[in-house]
Amino acid sequence: MPKINLRDALRLAVADGYGDLVTRRTGQAVRQVIEDTLATMAGEQPAAIDFGTVRCLDLSCADEIVGRLLREHGHDRAFVLLNVSPAHRESIEFVLERHQLAVAVTDAAGSSDVVGSVTDAVRQVFQFVAHGGPASAREIAEGLALSPEHAQAALDELHRLRLMPAAHAAAAS
Amino acid sequence: MTRVVEVPAQFDDRSFDQFAREYGSPSDERLLFDAHAAKWASPYGLVGLLAAGQAEFERRGERSLLTLPGDRDVAHYWARAGFLRRAPEYFEVHGKAPRVAPSGESDVLLEVTPVHGADDVHGVVDRIQERAAAILSHELHLETQATMGFAMALSEACQNIVEHAGTGGWVTVQTYQWRRTLKRRVVVIAVADAGVGFRRSLEPTQAKRFGDRWGDASALEAALIQGVSRFRDPGRGQGLAGIRRYLSRWAGKLSVRSGTARIAITPSWDDDVPLADNLPHFPGSQVLMIIPAQQ
Repeated sequence: MPKINLRDALRLAVADGYGDLVTRRTGQAVRQVIEDTLATMAGEQPAAIDFGTVRCLDLSCADEIVGRLLREHGHDRAFVLLNVSPAHRESIEFVLERHQLAVAVTDAAGSSDVVGSVTDAVRQVFQFVAHGGPASAREIAEGLALSPEHAQAALDELHRLRLMPAAHAAAAS
Repeated sequence: MTRVVEVPAQFDDRSFDQFAREYGSPSDERLLFDAHAAKWASPYGLVGLLAAGQAEFERRGERSLLTLPGDRDVAHYWARAGFLRRAPEYFEVHGKAPRVAPSGESDVLLEVTPVHGADDVHGVVDRIQERAAAILSHELHLETQATMGFAMALSEACQNIVEHAGTGGWVTVQTYQWRRTLKRRVVVIAVADAGVGFRRSLEPTQAKRFGDRWGDASALEAALIQGVSRFRDPGRGQGLAGIRRYLSRWAGKLSVRSGTARIAITPSWDDDVPLADNLPHFPGSQVLMIIPAQQ
């Protein structure tokens, strides 16, 4: 999965050597760099965005870099956010809940999760697949003690939100 | 003609309305801000005073007069807080200004700092993270995550100036012992500008919706409670809502004054009213955030 490093994107976007993703202007500039990179990537290839070097992520930047990216590109491409800290996660979650969106994230230890507006069942199924690999609705239903209908609905939602590639990638790593 | 505007002896958010009343309506008179009897000024008072000077300067093209506190310790504190370094831009300063080295002291986490554009916000966030993290965690017992959220809240508050004020403004961050009601150490963020204010910023998109109710108070309600913005982009209007959520998690207080109204999200330790209307008019917007030490 191609990886976009936000430190590199920040350097390309603004020449002043900023270390934090704050202000809407900076967020817009960084998103533009990300979109330029996405334009060079094959059609629906999933993209990873690495937050590992980011100290502060404010809501304006979270909206521009994650919220707007998902609103404008999330329908035809899956994203996973890497090295997301608890503080980053708060800003991202706040923005995505407002827009009823969700994204796959990993923390510095490599643990995967979903951030944003999803039901507990969807989150559970994501974790199940991320840890155990691809599974059928029946296997998920048995493993999580869900009804087959609920398991299938959660799988459908994961596909709709394009979260499944991240779950599979987490299982494979 | 010169008119005297008395700076309250205890100049903080509580006495700010008294200051705004003295400041009054725009006139042709040159103003003399008399702080000679000032005994204490909170961060909110200091940035509010600068905003008043800025408003007068931008309106008249002439600096107002300012007499410094007569009390040496008070004047010294104003210098340490960075106020006196910024004041000559908008005030003809009278009185002995103490010389102080740039503050490395722990109670002034961010000296009074101008905010005009996105670069200033980056500078503010950069400095606060360098200087405040240890104090916030060791003295206020905030978790590491909370110190990052603190930088986020500071950034969003400063961006309100950049995005909406139509002019520059001021920010300062200090920590001190809150004697009133709480009796605990607090960290205070004060942000002030003399710009267009919430009502004028939101008027083109929101006034019709509110009809006769439209005014400073309803504009503040729309921004803080409903999260509306003058921009139609659905991603806008999140800043104040995010600040509000952050502060409520840490039992903090948020107060926003604009024009003739003030709205506050108050924790249990504070007795401020949720919404005050028909206050003496003061230009722009003034934001106060207080986070108490965790127990």
